[in-house]
Amino acid sequence: MAHTSKSKAFRLGLLVFIALVVLTVVEFFLAVYLNVWLLLVIVALCKAGLVIYYYMHVYRLFQADTTLDRNSYAYKLATNRLGLWLFLVSDSFVFGGLMVARINLLGLTHPHLEQTVGLIVTSVLLVSSFFMNRAETAIAHGKRNQFVASTAITLILGIAFLVGVIGVEWRIAPFGPADGAHGAVFYSMTGFHAFHVFTGIIFLAIVLRNGLRGCYSSERHWGVEACAVYWHFVDVVWIFYYPALYLIGTVIE
Amino acid sequence: MKVILSLGLIRGLLWQLLGTALGIGFFTLVRALLGLPSWEAEPAIVVGALFGALFFLLGVGVLNDWLKWAAGEPTEDHVDDSHLGWRRYFGPSLDHKVIGVQYLVLSLVLMSVGGLFALLFRTELAQVQMQFLSLDQYNTLMSLHGMVMIISILMGIAAFMNYLVPLLIGAHDMAFPRLNAFSFWIAVPSAIILLSSLALGGFDTGWTGYPPLSVRAPIGIQMFLLGVSLSGFSSILGGLNIIATIVRMRARSMTPFRMPIFVWSSLATSIISLTATQLIGLSFQMVMLQRLFGMSFFDATKGGNPILFQHLFWFYSHPAVYIFVLPGLGIISELLPVFVRKPLFGYRWIAMSSLGIALVGFLVWGHHMFTSGMAEYLRVPFMYSTLLVAVPTGIKFFSWLATAWQGKISFETPMLFILAGIVVFLLGGLSGPPHAVVSTNLHLHDSYFVVGHFHNAMYGGFVFPFFAAIFYWYPKITGKRLSETLGKIQFWLMAPSFVIMSLLMMRIGLLGMRRRIADYEPAFGFEPYHLIMTIMAFLTALGVVVFFINVIYTQLKGQPVTGNVWNSRSPEWQVPSPMPVHNYERELIVVGEPYDYGSPGSRYVKFVGEA
Ligand code: HEM
Ligand SMILES: [Cu+2]
Repeated sequence: MAHTSKSKAFRLGLLVFIALVVLTVVEFFLAVYLNVWLLLVIVALCKAGLVIYYYMHVYRLFQADTTLDRNSYAYKLATNRLGLWLFLVSDSFVFGGLMVARINLLGLTHPHLEQTVGLIVTSVLLVSSFFMNRAETAIAHGKRNQFVASTAITLILGIAFLVGVIGVEWRIAPFGPADGAHGAVFYSMTGFHAFHVFTGIIFLAIVLRNGLRGCYSSERHWGVEACAVYWHFVDVVWIFYYPALYLIGTVIE
Repeated sequence: MKVILSLGLIRGLLWQLLGTALGIGFFTLVRALLGLPSWEAEPAIVVGALFGALFFLLGVGVLNDWLKWAAGEPTEDHVDDSHLGWRRYFGPSLDHKVIGVQYLVLSLVLMSVGGLFALLFRTELAQVQMQFLSLDQYNTLMSLHGMVMIISILMGIAAFMNYLVPLLIGAHDMAFPRLNAFSFWIAVPSAIILLSSLALGGFDTGWTGYPPLSVRAPIGIQMFLLGVSLSGFSSILGGLNIIATIVRMRARSMTPFRMPIFVWSSLATSIISLTATQLIGLSFQMVMLQRLFGMSFFDATKGGNPILFQHLFWFYSHPAVYIFVLPGLGIISELLPVFVRKPLFGYRWIAMSSLGIALVGFLVWGHHMFTSGMAEYLRVPFMYSTLLVAVPTGIKFFSWLATAWQGKISFETPMLFILAGIVVFLLGGLSGPPHAVVSTNLHLHDSYFVVGHFHNAMYGGFVFPFFAAIFYWYPKITGKRLSETLGKIQFWLMAPSFVIMSLLMMRIGLLGMRRRIADYEPAFGFEPYHLIMTIMAFLTALGVVVFFINVIYTQLKGQPVTGNVWNSRSPEWQVPSPMPVHNYERELIVVGEPYDYGSPGSRYVKFVGEA
């Protein structure tokens, strides 16, 4: 019984990942051949929905059992979940505000960027989300080694993403932050996002270290769950920022 | 000396000083290592201020438990620091009641500072031509007055939400006590950063900080932008905590429609501060980025759009005015039934009207931009959405009138302030729609009429209810009752003079007096009005001085009171004052409606095991 639920959870994670990959490929070709912004928005919404439901488990918020003892771990866990989600709602207003600035200033154009780099960093973040989910599933089923390995991979992929955006894209972009509205928009959107990735990496490092010291069990691993939800949130932001910066509209020189 | 250094606040301040110096040094060093010209004042000071804020938090010690969690170490859950006595008010206490008082003191300090600024430039205005302030000084004081007062209001509502919400819902503390302490302590270095702009050349943009003016202002503007951005976290995280507390920590038997009204209004307020606050932070950070890196968000010559700033700014700053007043209106609804001994009229309507105001408030920000060159077709929708706010606001007024109708009114100091609040807020509310209608707005915009309008709204919706709440809950907090005589003197000093001042503001505004202006044309004949307004401003300030005297007098000479001073039904008054450290010893059970005053024998709550 336990065995089947375990393999089911892992399989679901994989299926969602495959769906996300397919949607990303569809998104890219839609952008190349059709470039109707509405279609791109719909694809992004689908991707975000998948992540929010299957990776961030938003439905757990509504499963809180209010009859439990107030001092029990389960009750506090549900309170913590609510707190984290409220924080993410608040944070999404920052990203939303930047998106509004982008729409207002750039409209149906996007900055001149290296498409391969964009595709690579997007894929890296997507894969990292898959491993993050694996790590959480693993600890929830008491598989400590797999949890540690997946967390470590997520961390490395996170660093790779940062290197890709800050180290590569920022360097090769043919414009700087002071070059017109597209410079301002591009560097601020990627900068705010990269800062969140950076904090997520610190969070992952803490979880990894504490995981190695055996602080988490299959019943008690709020730290891992919080880290995972936060990491997926950062991914969701990128699900919108990637088309907004790389795909929608025509290139401005 | 040792005692002083053991106070978190003192440690924090010293660390902030150290952090600022380190930040500036570190930044300069990095630049030197990169081979850039090593000294550039503006970025160095910004980095210094950021380091300073971080070091303050480390110095106070609010981050300790989180650092322990990160290190995988356990922390204590219910810390009882009551053995520290008065010193716990100067350190990172986790008790929501202590934090509430800390907020209250910070609010009063900021209110005094902001008020002092106002007295200075108000005195300058009493006569035509400049007497003792330079134009730059006038602009700086006027701009800082606005923002310091706003932060003071935010601290003031946080004070009462923190102190009261857990008590009113029967919880032992907030949902996240450490986050609560953090929310308070981040506001202290932010306020210091904000005020430090005085020393860095000030700024001349008004509290709104519109570009392009804010892009050209002296360095002081950076401290303004940064201080406001940082103190935004206080609001955001405080709001988060209140929502989580209301949802998760309520006594089991307290169904949503049996919550005290103040809890409803705190919920509505917190929804706004949780979400909208991010956008004032973002818009200010964008100006900072434009100044530091030349990113041309708002520079029309380089593809930017200055109107974008106004949209982002007002998306917060309009809803913010409801952050200021909703808790105050909640206090009015909370106290009115106590002093008229009658049930609150239309409880559900009042509860829903707070949420209604909060939600509609999100859709009206464009009414600040009718003259700004915003897209023309947006004017009419924003006009109607703004007028719509009058509906839920009107509901509150009808409920207050109906509650007071044929009641046995007793005129103690809190009740006086409540009544003044209602009257003055009515003046503020009635002067809103003329702004909301596009055709009249074009005439009124940027005139003293606007100044009169929002001072009425804020005095009626915040200042007077705030003092009512202080007088009302003072015995609960300290176990002593403020002097009624001094309270009444304060009231009669503040209320009439304020009303006169604000009516004159509106009058000269209609006659053509512009706002945010250091001098005015003598031929308009405004001088006598300005003189009267200045005198009224000093009388109002004198009222506040009387309040401080009252506090000192009561702490020294006041007789202890422990019982239900106001004969209230609310749970916090059913236990002795001052409030016990862990609030309620036994679980609270809701057995009736919250505001059934005047029906003998009925109760709102009892405690487990009580008959
Ligand atoms: C019935 C309700 C209200 C309506 C219809 C209303 C309408 C308006 C409008 C249209 C303006 C813009 C005037 C202009 O600059 O041209 C304005 C300004 C303002 N209102 Fe209100 N208002 C209402 C209630 C409030 C409340 C409750 C508060 C505060 C607590 C408030 C605070 C302000 C402030 C601070 C400003 C000036 C902002 C600035 O330009 O510096 N208002 N109001
Ligand atoms: Cu407004």
